[in-house]
Amino acid sequence: MGESDYSFSLTTFSPSGKLTQIEYALNAVAAGATSLGIKASNGIVLATEKRMSSALMDETTLQKVALVTENVGMVYSGMGPDSRVLIRKARKNAQTYYQTYRESIPVSQVVRQIASVMQEYTQSGGVRPFGVSLLVAGYDYEGPHLYQVDPSGSYFAWKASAIGKNMVNAKTFLEKRYSDDIELEDAIHTSILTLKEGFEGQVTANNIELGVVGDDKVFRVLSAAEIKDYLGEVE
Amino acid sequence: MSGDGCVAIASDTRLGQQYQTIAMDVPRMFKMHDRLFLGLTGLYTDTQTLYNLFKFKLSMYKMREGREISPETFANLVSSTLYEKRFGPYFTEPIVVGLDKDNKPYLCGMDLLGALACEPDFVTLGTSTEMLLGACETFYRENMNEDQLFEVVSQTLMMATDRDCLSGWGGVVHIISKEGITTKTIKTRQD
Amino acid sequence: MMDFGTPVLEPGSANGTKQVPQFNPYQDNGGTVASIAGDDYVIVAADTRFTLGYSIPTRKISRVLKINDKVMLGTAGMQADTCALHKVISTRMRMYEHDNNKRMTFNAVSQMLSTVLYYKRFFPYYTFNIVAGLDDKGEGWVCGYDAIGSFEQRKIVCNGAGTKLMQPVFDNQVDWAQSWDGAGKPNLSLEQATDLMKDAFTSAAEREITVGDTLQIYKITKDGIQLEEFELKKD
Repeated sequence: MGESDYSFSLTTFSPSGKLTQIEYALNAVAAGATSLGIKASNGIVLATEKRMSSALMDETTLQKVALVTENVGMVYSGMGPDSRVLIRKARKNAQTYYQTYRESIPVSQVVRQIASVMQEYTQSGGVRPFGVSLLVAGYDYEGPHLYQVDPSGSYFAWKASAIGKNMVNAKTFLEKRYSDDIELEDAIHTSILTLKEGFEGQVTANNIELGVVGDDKVFRVLSAAEIKDYLGEVE
Repeated sequence: MSGDGCVAIASDTRLGQQYQTIAMDVPRMFKMHDRLFLGLTGLYTDTQTLYNLFKFKLSMYKMREGREISPETFANLVSSTLYEKRFGPYFTEPIVVGLDKDNKPYLCGMDLLGALACEPDFVTLGTSTEMLLGACETFYRENMNEDQLFEVVSQTLMMATDRDCLSGWGGVVHIISKEGITTKTIKTRQD
Repeated sequence: MMDFGTPVLEPGSANGTKQVPQFNPYQDNGGTVASIAGDDYVIVAADTRFTLGYSIPTRKISRVLKINDKVMLGTAGMQADTCALHKVISTRMRMYEHDNNKRMTFNAVSQMLSTVLYYKRFFPYYTFNIVAGLDDKGEGWVCGYDAIGSFEQRKIVCNGAGTKLMQPVFDNQVDWAQSWDGAGKPNLSLEQATDLMKDAFTSAAEREITVGDTLQIYKITKDGIQLEEFELKKD
């Protein structure tokens, strides 16, 4: 007996009360490139490493930070293809909400809906859990919100969080540097510094990606030129 | 009809089948929450069904989102719900009336397929809609206080329903302001 | 404009049914007439807009006929029938004056109009009339008619397109119909009645497309008839 005897099936609990497949899904996430998010008093920044397996890859075509709706964006760590499915569903849900209510979807609703999708895949036959954790950031009628969603379908709101390979070190770094009244510009600098901590090699404008939403309620992915400017400020 | 930081909704209480009066105390306006009313004219079975449907949707909304729905959002929800039945509609024409979070009045009327018409001053619907329009147009003033609003709304309702044999048998007026809701029943011609 | 209407199926022809255009002898040219009578005056008001569908062939059509110094006839509905009716009434009035050597009284005019309209019971004049005037004692009265001559003598009458919008307002302001015990019922003066008339027509012009342009207000008193023209919305 042991955990491994129960790890073959998603829909069987192990003796210690865990669903081993979900544990393994979390391992898949921990093997992925680091992503982090920081909630400032007037906005949120999402940052991620764009890990290229070869210098021959065209990094300008890869976009990890995705826009869900005008005021909400998300970034993932783990299996890229899985995240695409979730991003698509999140976008569709956001538009359905708008069509019914003519109002921008609150971040908590996006997260709730995506989390329930992820949970479905932990309790159905013939499917496997999603191998991604998501960081969802948005600015709605209540203000800025940052949520993390795990493969099990559980979600938490964070002031600052990191997921992926370097998450432990990154979170320690963020704990030291975070304050409740941090401003957006500061948060952007902090996020770049945090990424730099665990980065293998040199951080350039092309191998990291930043997404920002301020109190204008518009989520934007920053261009390479803007990232270059921030990098220059951080030096 | 809108006033200064307040808004009123009024209707008659007759239920009839063409010229036969069936009931004289039938509610057509429903409180959705402390600052939002929904008025439904037309086929009474659809009025009841839609009221129950929206009560359900609003409860779900409140539980999921942890907040009361704003009047504008609710109006859009009503509009989408009606349009879902585009080729087999509900035979009711709703009015959504409420105060938004800044205590500004929100009024809008819709046809049976959900076409929204938001007005800043007043909205009228029902069998005596033209008569109500003429009366409201003549007596409406901007920025009325609650008492003036009540006077104008109750008088216009009575004037118009007195000239319509399908409406009447009493009226009810609800005034919504930031202090709360005041409801008054009016005795009209009983015929 | 000849109105051939939409084609109708012709029953009983060789192969069952055939579509043939039919001539529609009636047209609705819009317009509203209204009148308020007081103790020693009557005012008759009519708008001057001639509509045909959604077009306006003219903004200056007169709907009111002066019968004599004490009586006027206002007509809304189809303009061609209005003209024909007015000619018939004028002719009959002149004949009466020749035959009887006196002017037609208010009661005589109102009765005559009723019979003239009823003569055409089975191909009516498409007209909605009001006859307003001072009776023998000098008191003001109005009669409202339907298309085939049924009439009632009252103090306030509206007829035509804007009736539904204006009648409730008059009921409330002149008749004091909504008050519990009728106490405080006003005796309107000529000026007050004129102002009320202008307000009512202005409101009707807002919401009824066939009402607008100019309002002609004729004031009948023992001193004769005065005309006041009041501009309405032209859209």
